[in-house]
Amino acid sequence: MTRPLDSSIVRKLCAIVGPDHVITDPNRLIVYESDGLTSYRVIPRAVVLPGSTEEVSEVVRLLHGEGIPIVPRGAGTGLSGGALPMPEGVVVGTARMNKILEIDAENRLALIQPGVINASLTEAAMPYGLYYAPDPSSQSTCTLGGNVAENSGGPHCLKYGVTQRYVTGLTVVMAGGRVIRLGGVGRSPDGALDLVGLFVGSEGCFGLVTEIEARLLPVAEGVRTLLGIFDTMEAAGHAVTAIISEGLLPAAVEIVDNATIRAVEASVYAGGFPVDAGAALVIEFDGTEAGLDADADRAEACCHAAGANEVKRAADATQRAALWNGRKKAFGAMGRIAPDLLVQDATVPRTRLPEVLARIAEIGERYELKVANVFHAGDGNLHPNILFDRNDADELDRVERASKEIMSLCVDVGGTITGEHGVGIDKRGYMRLVHNTLELDAMGAVKAVFDPEGLFNPGKVLPDPLPEGELEVAHR
Amino acid sequence: MSATASLADVLPAEALTRQGASDALLELASTAEAVVRPQSTAEVAETLGWASANAVGVLPVGSGEHRMRRTLEGRFIVLATDRLTGLEIYEPADVTLTAKAGTRLGDLNEALGAHRQWLPFDPPSVPSRTIGGLVATGESGPVATGYGELRNHVLGATVVCGDGRVLRLGGRVVKNVAGFDLLRPMVGSRGRLGVITSVCLRAFPSPAVDRLLVVRSGDIAGLRDLSRAVCTAPISPASCVVWAPAGSLGGGAALLVRLHGALPTVDADQVTLERHAGVVFEQLGDAKAALAEIRDHAAGGAVELRISLLPSRLFDGLAAALDRLGDFAVAADAYSGSARLAASDVGVEAIELLRGDVEALGGALTVFAGGVELRGPDLGSRPTPEELELAGRLEKVFDPSGVFWPCRA
Repeated sequence: MTRPLDSSIVRKLCAIVGPDHVITDPNRLIVYESDGLTSYRVIPRAVVLPGSTEEVSEVVRLLHGEGIPIVPRGAGTGLSGGALPMPEGVVVGTARMNKILEIDAENRLALIQPGVINASLTEAAMPYGLYYAPDPSSQSTCTLGGNVAENSGGPHCLKYGVTQRYVTGLTVVMAGGRVIRLGGVGRSPDGALDLVGLFVGSEGCFGLVTEIEARLLPVAEGVRTLLGIFDTMEAAGHAVTAIISEGLLPAAVEIVDNATIRAVEASVYAGGFPVDAGAALVIEFDGTEAGLDADADRAEACCHAAGANEVKRAADATQRAALWNGRKKAFGAMGRIAPDLLVQDATVPRTRLPEVLARIAEIGERYELKVANVFHAGDGNLHPNILFDRNDADELDRVERASKEIMSLCVDVGGTITGEHGVGIDKRGYMRLVHNTLELDAMGAVKAVFDPEGLFNPGKVLPDPLPEGELEVAHR
Repeated sequence: MSATASLADVLPAEALTRQGASDALLELASTAEAVVRPQSTAEVAETLGWASANAVGVLPVGSGEHRMRRTLEGRFIVLATDRLTGLEIYEPADVTLTAKAGTRLGDLNEALGAHRQWLPFDPPSVPSRTIGGLVATGESGPVATGYGELRNHVLGATVVCGDGRVLRLGGRVVKNVAGFDLLRPMVGSRGRLGVITSVCLRAFPSPAVDRLLVVRSGDIAGLRDLSRAVCTAPISPASCVVWAPAGSLGGGAALLVRLHGALPTVDADQVTLERHAGVVFEQLGDAKAALAEIRDHAAGGAVELRISLLPSRLFDGLAAALDRLGDFAVAADAYSGSARLAASDVGVEAIELLRGDVEALGGALTVFAGGVELRGPDLGSRPTPEELELAGRLEKVFDPSGVFWPCRA
């Protein structure tokens, strides 16, 4: 049960950030009870929305001084419950820290606050012929601070890599309110430990990011987007392997299954995917205009060799946008089918995709659950989406058991339990599938380097200690 | 682990033989108590457990050929990974591989080449370097411009901590965020956190065309505008290097641009580049030999330094270097703003002055190698006190007994 925050602390918080930016009204706190993982809900004691690094520092100093844990929050689009409040904790949101402080076009760098929406950075960089590469499907709403916390990916990470590759420096507020700057292009001598790389993906457990220095890339001259239509997911999976084996490096290779296609095509996001297709691949190449048609031709041949019924090319920007809308809005479209959606996330070696997809389908059937697949096939990054109703206790139990089997399967074939959504609260229980106690202890000790009192996002990422007498589970 | 046992008690005799060790390794080990050359992760763990119990320092090395500034005074052993060799897992269709740490890059690229794949790293003498050593130094070389830095392509590693704990970090898939990323601080940590015994990497398709373009100039300063034009052109070259030989006082300089891709792509990129920069490039015929020469350039001087800066300030840094050092050889990565400088004779004062200039420009200076007079305190730039404090606490997590002191000295 959430305990209200002491009124003297509320007053002090109001003095720091202004009364409009401290939320204690239970009706308004409901907004913050979960993130994109809605199966867990906790009302926080309060939500604080600082407007600057200095305010974040003061808020952290005050709350940590009182021994109150802090749950950092960006836009709340995370899918692993990383921003799930805790009954004893206060949520510190970055919504007001939404300024792009500098676009340094000559050095292809941007300095931004953590509450900047991912897509806004690309919009701001476009006039300079530049853009920000990592593009999570939630990019129109998710924040860059959240992306840093989760080391987010996205469809185009196949060619361009994930958030970690683009973050070159950070200003962070550490335990007790201490502000420090990490990295920065040119600033670190050789041999300095990569603290920025370590901080990225720490899921709000090390501290609060208040400024981000990020790399921008030049916008590619041309793009070709293909849609391959297949009878089965297995055939589409073979096409992916063939494209990668051919030595092609597409910007993105995405796969959607029939259940997803039907959901999307019935929604406002319809992308023109045939509803009777067993699977569809969205394949994109970008780069110098002169070489793109040849790459697209080779990929098309790979699709046909794997049994594609049809391969279409987006003729213009509008068609391309429609195809991507169909892919990126798939999660939203699924709201039409079931009240709740568990977006799973795991990675397997690309070559194991056909086999893993078949086994996931079998797991879904066995637990009598609807599973829809939409994911980054080129990376082997699966998103089996389990559709359910959380008010049905039996179904919820089956969802949990099926999820665990899917995770074990992915680990067994050489993969891992999360490719881009993070561990948060959702995957803590699976961490022992991929890490032994020594490794988990080392992670705990590294968290303590940044957060000795354990007051940043406690209860996330690391699993509970093994019960006495219980042996380590299988390890990769 | 008993504090009285000798290394010979805990390791097989083969792990202690110097037979077959390279000259570089033997030279490095001339003042060491022993050279340990384990053949398994378990033997590395035994060695580190022994060193912890006996308060003996450990200097982990790969080939032993890479130059790094060290001051070694006290009891220490050299732990070489040169016999931990071989490709463990390579699935060409996954474009990933796992190799033991002592495997040389040249051997890895040969195995990958059979499947038209490669590892896009080009720091000096890369073919003879071991993959574990390369990851420990974190050096990518200028080709990171087109492919991203080494640190982004290391998917996983097996690491033995200072007290003998074996940690498997990361994994072998291209995307992985399962827990805090302890792998990141390992890359580039120069052996201060642990001994890497196995590495999993992402590979890349080999480019169909590897074209090397050059523009020559009377001096380095004459390349400033051209370099900025290339670096802001709307294409993505594989690399862009500013080059000048020793003995020229910055004269006889050249800008070398490498383009990768299919033939029509590379042709079109060259046209775009020439239009954007207002210059006609010369295409080098024997690119392979030239590439090796450029790659290894400025890596063998008596004094070897690196300056890193914002790319827009690189030439200000090079001008300062000319002013402070006089003559030197340079190979600068124009995209990253990092330059390697090699000189035959530079004093402490000149390096300190250059460090001041570079730091005033917002950059950092690193000293890799130097003569006797440079063996005192490190003359290079330091991370901020806050970063050093965090780094020190991380070192304690991975090396609680401090056996890796030779890497910190």
